[in-house]
Order: sequence, then structure tokens, then C-alpha cells
Amino acid sequence: MAPRTDSQSLSTGSAMSDTSGESSIDPIFHILRLIPFSFLRPPRLRLKLPSFTLPSPMTVFALILLTYFLVISGFVYDVIVEPPGIGSTQDPNTGAIRPVVFMSGRVNGQYIIEGLSSGFMFVMGGIGIIMLDLALDKNRAKSVKASYATAGVTSIVIGYVMSMLFIRIKIPGYLH
Amino acid sequence: MGAKKASPDLLNSSFSFKSLKLKTKQQELLLRVSILGLVYVLAFIARLFSVLRYESMIHEFDPYFNYRTTLFLTEKGFYEFWNWFDSESWYPLGRIIGGTLYPGLMVTAALIYWTLRFLRFFVHIREVCVLTAPFFASNTTIVAYFFGKEIWDTGAGLVAAALIAICPGYISRSVAGSYDNEAVAIFALLLTFYLFVKAVKTGSLSWALGSAFGYFYMVSAWGGYVFIINLVPLYVLVLLITGRYSMRLYVAYNCMYILGMLLAMQIRFVGFQHVQSGEHMGAMGVFLLMQVFYFLDWVKYQLNDTKLFQTFLRITVTSAILVGGIALGVGTASGYISPWTGRFYSLLDPTYAKDHIPIIASVSEHQPTAWSSFMFDYHILLFLFPAGLYFCFKRLSDATIFIVMYGLTSLYFAGVMVRLILVATPAVCLISAIAVSATVKNLTSLLRTKQKVPQTGSTKGVGSSKSSSKVTLDQSQPFQKNGAIALLVGVFYLLSRYAIHCTWVTSEAYSSPSIVLAARGAHGNRIIFDDYREAYYWLRQNTPTDAKVMSWWDYGYQITAMGNRTVIVDNNTWNNTHIATVGRAMSSYEDEAYDIMRSLDVNYVLVVFGGVTGYSSDDINKFLWMVRIGGGVYPVIKEPDYLVNGEFRVDKGASPKMLNCLMYKLCYYRFGELVTEYGKPTGYDRARGVEIGNKDIKLEHLEEAYTTSNWIVRIYRVKPPTNRL
Repeated sequence: MAPRTDSQSLSTGSAMSDTSGESSIDPIFHILRLIPFSFLRPPRLRLKLPSFTLPSPMTVFALILLTYFLVISGFVYDVIVEPPGIGSTQDPNTGAIRPVVFMSGRVNGQYIIEGLSSGFMFVMGGIGIIMLDLALDKNRAKSVKASYATAGVTSIVIGYVMSMLFIRIKIPGYLH
Repeated sequence: MGAKKASPDLLNSSFSFKSLKLKTKQQELLLRVSILGLVYVLAFIARLFSVLRYESMIHEFDPYFNYRTTLFLTEKGFYEFWNWFDSESWYPLGRIIGGTLYPGLMVTAALIYWTLRFLRFFVHIREVCVLTAPFFASNTTIVAYFFGKEIWDTGAGLVAAALIAICPGYISRSVAGSYDNEAVAIFALLLTFYLFVKAVKTGSLSWALGSAFGYFYMVSAWGGYVFIINLVPLYVLVLLITGRYSMRLYVAYNCMYILGMLLAMQIRFVGFQHVQSGEHMGAMGVFLLMQVFYFLDWVKYQLNDTKLFQTFLRITVTSAILVGGIALGVGTASGYISPWTGRFYSLLDPTYAKDHIPIIASVSEHQPTAWSSFMFDYHILLFLFPAGLYFCFKRLSDATIFIVMYGLTSLYFAGVMVRLILVATPAVCLISAIAVSATVKNLTSLLRTKQKVPQTGSTKGVGSSKSSSKVTLDQSQPFQKNGAIALLVGVFYLLSRYAIHCTWVTSEAYSSPSIVLAARGAHGNRIIFDDYREAYYWLRQNTPTDAKVMSWWDYGYQITAMGNRTVIVDNNTWNNTHIATVGRAMSSYEDEAYDIMRSLDVNYVLVVFGGVTGYSSDDINKFLWMVRIGGGVYPVIKEPDYLVNGEFRVDKGASPKMLNCLMYKLCYYRFGELVTEYGKPTGYDRARGVEIGNKDIKLEHLEEAYTTSNWIVRIYRVKPPTNRL
């Protein structure tokens, strides 16, 4: 199939070049036709210019969700302030080094891992709501709709409960 | 007689509730208006915590400058205000106030004040200034309702208005008393965006004109107008790329850009930046691109030959890009187009400020955002935002593309700088409102389907297959209905938790005036520290009127506004060298500092000290910034001189330069005799948690003038030089 389409495109290409050569208003084309290409013969190539198609909305949405996850996890804070991945304190009694997950003392400070895990919880909650909407789509089988619904509700509940837990650990006086 | 008898009967019958029954449309209108009214009142009263707890006063630092300028405007009139040269700040340089501020806020407050006086309500201008921010927050909720209606539907608009009324991200900068540019600017921002989206939707010239005037209001109100002048062209570019070019877009953008640019040039502070500054070139580039698109569209309409048009298209696009690139290059190289200023460049490259501009890096509001700040300011909205984005992508239109772009760009900038969470708040609230509205609509439609099925079953003939299917549907219906009710209860529970969170955050975190400090005493009672105002009023009443006060730039506005004395540097931070001179004076030994102070004609020095109360935002904690900024201009000040092994200490192990510099001496003068905490030695600094190193301090060229009751503000008099014999 390939050679046939090639020859077809070649013939149409040559036909097009003939017609465009006669009626082209492009001055550069005319100059080029004179100077090198009156005695040089361009080779027959099988190349095509890459065409630029816009991605589908849902692809863009997936990329945006990823960016949202990075921003919400405090990625810019991590790059600029460069906190450690996880903090550490020294146990006063035994002298051993214990890890500290949540940076305490201020609202606007974090370690890298706590940021990423909180961001993951937020995105999970968001995806839960999206799955709830997918569950109400009429064109699916009932079992698929039911599983989407349960997965959505579970995601929302887990995401919300974990986020509340994280913020309570981080800010000791929360809601008092 | 008969008529008189009939009229009471008429009254009785007309007052029965049957006649009060409204049609569904009227019911809906009543519901909407009452909800909006309640949201309006809610947005106002949620911001009144500090007025109820303390008193009606201006908070923080910047609002004091705005208050002083508004006072000047109402007393002297607009032309004096516009041409004002202030010799009371930045001594001896002075400051051209008329040309270096954004007048929108002051003019708005002055207009409200004059309107109230016209209506014979003789309020003090301070009350108007304090309550301007809550008033405009209420107006923002109304604009958010209309915007939500434009993007999605009225339900989303109502939810958006309710969410934005109590969102902590917005409340933090628009609390009563926070008389700052953002109070008015967010209203102007949302108004401009709403009018522009309406113009793109309808293609009407009047809406575009409205958006140009909204843009003018925004330019007059805040320096963040650069966000609008870059977001709108970016939005137009995205629409062009996705193939949504239309005549409506052409009319809307052209009208808004040209008129908006001309109007923006009326503000002296902005001047010719719209044609000269690199930050505004994007808008101009998109403007020219629109003209190219229109031209190509017209040529395509004239020509009927597609092949000819393709070649013409290629030539035009190439030449347009070439010409634009050459013009931009020539403009930038010749210096006519100035490059991006540091403040905005650090938004694109966040590491820039840390390495190059310490003044920008030192402001705590300019730090990047951690996850907990997002959670604190947004709570539930962080879950609803991605869901709302999904709904927007499901139903793409010109309006939803705009709100998605606004949300994403503003959220990125909010991640770079904590202060910009404010700009992202309207977008996050709107998109979350879409998620809430769409989800609730889905769930309630589940609740309603059961009522429709029996009706169709009864009207159609009941065949055996139909009856069986009806039975199976009926079996799933109660389950679905119960599930939908449970989920709706869950949604309302989440929204109620949001309301509780917002109220708690507002009450605890965002309602402190910063000029009055509060702490809990030993028995849980509240102790108020009013030291700042005590010190400023002492200055006002006990110093000569031409006295000049040197302090760190944080307190400049407050000293000028409340103390009514000339200052050397203030919060405007427009002259880095002047600030570095003050920083050098504060970090030098007393003799060198005395020479600098004599050269600046300083009469009084003011420092803030938190060692007695444990107040941690005092000058000793800010001292390293003074060293860095001073050292940035005067290499004789070197930061390692003040550190010991890279650590900043004030106790016995501190470096000798630290123990003898002016700031140390002024803060800890006579502190060595004081017992601050039971069981600790004298001179125990409660803010740093250490005993100070140098307790025996002698001052040679300065003498103590005043120390406030809790030792927070300390004022020293600079002695004149001794007579030579």
C-alpha cells in the first residue's frame, strides 16, 4: 500500500507544484526557482512535516492535576528553602535520633515528605468527587456505577479524615 | 355603609396565606435575593472580630500610611493630595507621595466619607477607613455571584458568594482595620474579570467598556494589576490556539486593551509603563496578533482560492513573527523597554530574590507556601478545586476556559509567595462552587427520578416486560434514593465543617491588630500590651516638632502617622542605600554610629525589644537582616563578624562585635538589672531564651529618653556633640 500512496502523493505533489508555480504570488519562491533549482534537481523525499494536533481536554486535565499536586505539596517551598526530607530530634533520655514527620512551631513551614503526603490526600479527595460524578453517568453498567460510587465515597472520606488528622498534628491548638 | 362593610372582608381575605402563595419563579427569586442578602451581611460581620475585641483602630504597618494620606486628602482636597511632596519621611530626601502611590483606596474611602457627610452622618475618617475593607468584601461576594452565574449557573453563583464570604484566604487581608490596597483591589480584580468574560460572551462594546473602566480602577488600587494585564492576553492566546477566535473576542480584547491602557496612564505612578515596561509587552504582542488574525480572516473572506490563501497565510505569519521579534529585540537592546522588575521576576524564577535582593527575601509574606498554609486558608476548597476543574473541562466554553486559567496561574503564584494566596482565593472559590453545585445537582436529580418513573408507568400500557423492568427499577430506586440522601448529608456536613474552620481561623489567627499585642496570663486572663501606641504618643507629646527619629524601616509609617515626627526610613523601601545606611548605623560600634547619626541629623533612636515579654518579632531577631542589607551596600559590615560558628547568639558566647554594636546596647541597656522570670538570673532574655552576655552597658553619645511599661519600645535621645575647649 505504501508505494502506491507515495506515487499518488508524488503525482499530486508534482501537479500541485505545476499549478502553484504558474499562479504563485510568492516572490521568494520565484527567486528560488531561478537561482539554485533551475540546474539543481531536488531529490524525492518521503518526509512529512509533523502536524500539530491539540490534545484532548481530559489529557490536559490529567497534566493539570499533576501540576496541582506539586503546587499544593509545597514544591516551590521545597526548592527554595530546601528543608530536609524528614526532621529529626534527639530523644532526651536515650540519646537516640528519632524522626519527626511534621515541622512544628509555625504554619508556613514543612518537611518534604509531609508536604507530599498531604498533597496526595487532597488530590485523592478531589478524585473521589470526580468518581462520584462518573458514577452518575447513564451510559455505564450498573456494577461499574456502583463500584465507582463506593470508590469515590471511600476516597473522599479517607482524604478528608487524613487531612484533618495531619492538620491536628501540625497545629496543636487547632479548633480549640 | 355597604362598601365600608365590604372592605374589612376584603382585607381579611386578601391577608390569608393562600394569596401569599407565590409562583415557582417568584419563590426562586425570593430565595436567591434573601440568600444573597444574608451572605452580604455575613461577609461584613465575619470581619469585625478585632473591632469587638479591642477597638476600632488601624492594624499593622502599611495601613497607617494609607490612613495618613486619606486624612490629608480629606483635609486638603484632591489637588493638594495629587501634588504632595512629603518632607516628613526619608529625611533628608523626602518622598513624592503624589507620584508614588496608588490612589484608588484613598479616593474610595474619601468618597464614602464625603457621601456620608453629605447625608449628614458626621463620622470620623478613621471609622470609614477601618470599615472600608469589610464593605468591599461584601461587594465582592455580589460580584462573585454574578461571575458564577456567567460561568456555570445561578446555583454555582450562590455557592461561590457564600464560600468567598468566609474564606480565610480573603479574610486575612480584608479584616476590619486592615486598611490596605488589597481590600479594594480584590473587588476591582473580580469586577474586571467578570466584565471581560461578559464582554467575550456577548461581544458587546458596552461590556468591554465596562471592563476597561474596571481595569482602570484596579490600576489605581494596587500594583498587582500586572496580573490582569498578563492573564487576559494569555487567555486570548489560549482561545486563539484552541480555535475559538471570534468577532466577540476581537471586540472585547481590543476595546479593553486600548482604553484600559490609556486610562491606566492617568495614574502618575504607572505612567508610561504600558508601552515601556517588559511586563506589559505580552499584552501588546497579543494585541498585534489579534490584528493579524483579523486581517487574515478578512483576506480569507475576500479570496476564494484556498491554495492561494495558504501561501498568503504562511508569508503573513512568518513576517509578523519576524517583525514582532525584531521590534522587541531593538526595544530591549536600546533600553526603551525596561526588563522585568525584581518583584515580578522573582515570581517566575523564585530563587532570584534569595540570591540577589535581600530586601524582598526578608519580608515574611514573600516566603514560598507550605501545604499547611494552603490548608489553613482553604480547607475543603482544596478537595473541591480539582473536582471543579474536571467539571469545567467537561463543559468547555469561553467562560470556563477563563476561570480555569485564572485558577491555575493564580494558584501557581500562590505557591511561590504566601501573600498571593489572596489573589488565588476568588478563583478557588468559584471553581469549588462549580464542583459543589454540579455534585448537588447530580444527587438531587437522583432524588427526583423516582417521582417520574411511576408516572410514565401509569400513563403507558403495562406490558409484562415493562412491569418486570419497572419492578427492577423500583428495587434499585430506594437504594439509590437513600444513597443520594446520605451523600447530600455528607456534602452539608463538609460545608458546615468549612464554616466552623473559617470562623475559628478568623477569630484566632487573622484578627490581631499587630500594633496591640495580647497574651494569656497565668490564670488564663487576657493581658493587653499597648506599648507601641504608648511610645508613639510619648514621641508626639514630648519631643520637639522638628525632631527626627531613626528606627528600622518596619516602624516608619506608624511613627509618622501616630507620632507625627520625621523619620529617616519607612516601609516604602524605595531607597535601598538609605536603608543600608541605617542598617550600618545599627550594626556599628557606638562611635561610628554616632557619626552616621550626626550626618543624618538624627535626634531620637527607636528600637523594639521583646526580651521582657517574650515578643519574638523584635529588632534583635531582625538584626541579621539589618546586617545583610547594610553589608550589601557597605562592605565594611560583614555578616560573619556577628555570628559564632554560623550561629546567631546574644549570650556570653556571642561575638564581641555583636556584644558591642549599637543595636545590642540600645536593646539591653539596663536590662542586666532586671529579673524577668522567676528562677532565672537577671538579664534573662525571654524571647531568645538565654541570659545576655554583656550586662554592664554604658552609653556615651546617647541617653535613654523613654522605655514603655513592658520594655517593648525603647527611645533614646542623641546627645549633641560636646563643646570643644
